[in-house]
Amino acid sequence: MTTPQPTTHVRPNYLLIWLYLFVMTIAEVLLAFELPVTQNLKLILLLILAVWKAMLVALFFMHLKFERWRLRLIFIVPLPLAAILVTTVIMEKVF
Amino acid sequence: MTTVAHTRTEAHSEHAPMSFWRKYIFSTDHKIIGIQFLFVSLFFLLVGGLLAMQIRWQLGFPGKPMPGGGILPESMVSGGVILPEYYIQLVTMHGTFMVFFAIMPLLVGVYANFLIPLKVGAHDMAFPRINMWSFWLALLAGLIMLAGFFVPDGAPRAGWTMYAPLSARPDLSGATISQKLWSISIVVLGLSSVMGSVNYITTIINHRAPGMYWFRMPLSVWALFITAILAVLALPVLQGAAIMLLFDQSIGTHFFDPVAGGQALLWQHLFWFFGHPEVYILILPAMGMVSDIIANGSRKPIFGYHSMVFAIIGIAFLGWLVWGHHMFMSGMNPTLGSTFMVSTLLIAVPSAVKVFNWMGTMWRGNLRFHVPMLNAIGFVSMFTIGGLSGIFMAATPVDIPLHDTQFIVAHIHYVLFGGSLFALFAAITYWYPKMFGRMMNEGIGKAHFFLTFIFYNMTFFPMHIIGMGGQMRRIYDPTIYDFLKPQQPLNVFISYSAFALFAVQILFAFNFLWSLKFGKKAPQNPWDDNGLEWSLPNPAPHGNWDRTPNVYRGPYEFSAPEAGDKDYLPQYVKLPTDRDPVPAPAPAGH
Amino acid sequence: MTHATQTLDQMRPPFPAEVGSGVYSNKLGMWVFLASDVMFFTALIGSYIILRFGMPSAWARPGAVLNVPLTGVNTFLLICSSVSMVKAYAAIADGKKYFLRKVPGKTLQDGGLKFWLLVTIICGAGFVGVQLVEYIKLVGEGFTPAGYREGSLLAEHALADPVKYGAGVAGMYGSTFFTMTGFHGFHVTCGVISMLYLYFTKVLPEKYSAQDYRGIEVIGLYWHFVDLVWIILFTIVYLI
Repeated sequence: MTTPQPTTHVRPNYLLIWLYLFVMTIAEVLLAFELPVTQNLKLILLLILAVWKAMLVALFFMHLKFERWRLRLIFIVPLPLAAILVTTVIMEKVF
Repeated sequence: MTTVAHTRTEAHSEHAPMSFWRKYIFSTDHKIIGIQFLFVSLFFLLVGGLLAMQIRWQLGFPGKPMPGGGILPESMVSGGVILPEYYIQLVTMHGTFMVFFAIMPLLVGVYANFLIPLKVGAHDMAFPRINMWSFWLALLAGLIMLAGFFVPDGAPRAGWTMYAPLSARPDLSGATISQKLWSISIVVLGLSSVMGSVNYITTIINHRAPGMYWFRMPLSVWALFITAILAVLALPVLQGAAIMLLFDQSIGTHFFDPVAGGQALLWQHLFWFFGHPEVYILILPAMGMVSDIIANGSRKPIFGYHSMVFAIIGIAFLGWLVWGHHMFMSGMNPTLGSTFMVSTLLIAVPSAVKVFNWMGTMWRGNLRFHVPMLNAIGFVSMFTIGGLSGIFMAATPVDIPLHDTQFIVAHIHYVLFGGSLFALFAAITYWYPKMFGRMMNEGIGKAHFFLTFIFYNMTFFPMHIIGMGGQMRRIYDPTIYDFLKPQQPLNVFISYSAFALFAVQILFAFNFLWSLKFGKKAPQNPWDDNGLEWSLPNPAPHGNWDRTPNVYRGPYEFSAPEAGDKDYLPQYVKLPTDRDPVPAPAPAGH
Repeated sequence: MTHATQTLDQMRPPFPAEVGSGVYSNKLGMWVFLASDVMFFTALIGSYIILRFGMPSAWARPGAVLNVPLTGVNTFLLICSSVSMVKAYAAIADGKKYFLRKVPGKTLQDGGLKFWLLVTIICGAGFVGVQLVEYIKLVGEGFTPAGYREGSLLAEHALADPVKYGAGVAGMYGSTFFTMTGFHGFHVTCGVISMLYLYFTKVLPEKYSAQDYRGIEVIGLYWHFVDLVWIILFTIVYLI
């Protein structure tokens, strides 16, 4: 039985995160319309950007970076399930 | 004990006396909410049973006027004879009511609510008001679903699985308004379920009494915990699918309409991705409660407590990976079919572990055949048969001829009736004293068990045979097929057995209702059990304990040498050799 | 602008209990609820991905039908509301219950809980407003959940250029767009209403303090989640 310690941590610089999100959003819009890259590469890059932004929000705004693993687990668990559903059905459809 | 954390001592007795409405109707007390769920769910169980009786009439005696059919309107019953349009409504709504509004609320709504705080040593659920809302939303969902029978064009008729595009196209199915009501009801029910599950999970994680370590929790609580996790993740998928179905029916979207680019199979995938965890939601709480009762009835600790816990977790985890076995005949990718076959066969393993452990618990036990124990043993044997038929269907080649036949119907009913419902008879009898302060009548209980067991097997076992003989599910009149005509005598036999089975339930209903007022007053611990709930008077008071109990041992210390001359040793009893558990310290700086 | 803070993770129920998760119940409950909400959006977004894989021609090119610049600004607005939410949380964690306060030596006043939460509510409501205006405009042009309305401007465009505007009546495009963004908008609206409720019943009467600001943290989690979902949605609905 572990006794909980007060979690002291350095408060993240929220304005800096906001700046990152702003810049990444601009990058996404530009990528979608302007940059001459192939469709597949565009798809992958956009998805990476989107997931990165989402992780910034989850880790810093929602505080997950500083929480115990038990709490992060609650958020992580649905994700593989979602992936399994979508991948299986697409595999099925492709057939 | 150095730090004494403050206890919520008289917080509850300081309440101003509550009005009847606040105390019994709009109650936030988890026990009252559990009892509310009990009455409402038993009502829906009756509704489902009445629908089943009509189905059995039609299957046993196709084309013959049904006794009492005259009271139903002409659109359903013509000259007393059930019409095909009505028959398919019966089949659909029997499944819907039984799964969503009878078994699920009985197992989860009643027992998660009632037992969890009592068995972990909490004063109430983590979020009592959300708990109250969970009940009222479930009731609302049930009423919306029931309304389907009374609107123009009658009840939905695409089967309880609501396959698209039949369910998405009112012009094809004929059910206009009620189909939308189905979707709305499911969304509301999903909300109720999620709210409840959030409560159960939070209470079990955060509100356990000092000393109630994870591996000291009774298996009923473990099962309800894992069930709540399944519910919280699975129900929203059904809600999403139901919303898409509702939009297909009402605002012209095309999710499941292949003509406009949608995918009919998408519905099946979404539904069964929810549906398979759902069936584990329908069996795990039953398994958990049966574990408690069998340990009690054997006067022995549960055999292999840790493996029982891991088996529950294993079943729940694997349950997410098997949904395709409901779709073997859908024309899916054969490679995927094989994958699902393997995962489905795997899931038999933890279930088997549990069955062997129950048997191991009873082996050489000092068996007490009280009514809950009888029903629990009935559960184990019937669930085993249901599980065995499941193995048949897990193998894709075997499933090809068996899919959508009465064999599947037999399997469903062996696990849901033979399994969950027998477990419910056991649980209702077992915790009745805690709920109402009285005992149910033992004699009537035993008669009910034996008669139910006999008629139940007479009803559902032959379904395996006629299923293998080729009789399909949801068929209006089997005698139109020459190859099914020779089986019709079995159908008649099943129908007579089903009528007898239904009639016998009067014993249970009578016992339940009569004992409320005239049952023997219950002693504090009528079953000589170890759980925390038995440290409270019957019925348990609002707020449960004045001072949070301390927990000194695991839940199954039957026949323990330390207990002296008694053959049980409750979790809350402090022996001279026990030390008080240290509660979590108060947070620093508060 | 950084300093050490204690979180509320140690708040115990007011009776003895095992350690459990180590976070207080309201927060644990909200996280569990958010996990369920992930599954809900999985059903909707997953279906979108599956349907699009099945018939990619039914979708228009990005920007052809939907107003990406406007929605980009709207996305930014939602992100701003998320930042102001976390600023509100940081403010009450420091005990700043006030609206605005002058800080010696700084030009900008220091915002307290009342200020930042109000900014969040306004930005959130703004997001919903812009979405609604967008919907009305789209339906007016002929983009409906059932696809392009017969005889509308977009239907004509689709006939002329099916690659850019989506083949046929683009029924799937419309169905998935309105369902996903509509339910997201519903979640945002619920969040705005909840924050308004809290604002008037708890924030203005200064019921939150540095010792107990659970409600703000919990609604903050919900709000960030809603923002997170939009970040994903914006990319896969508007930009792909």
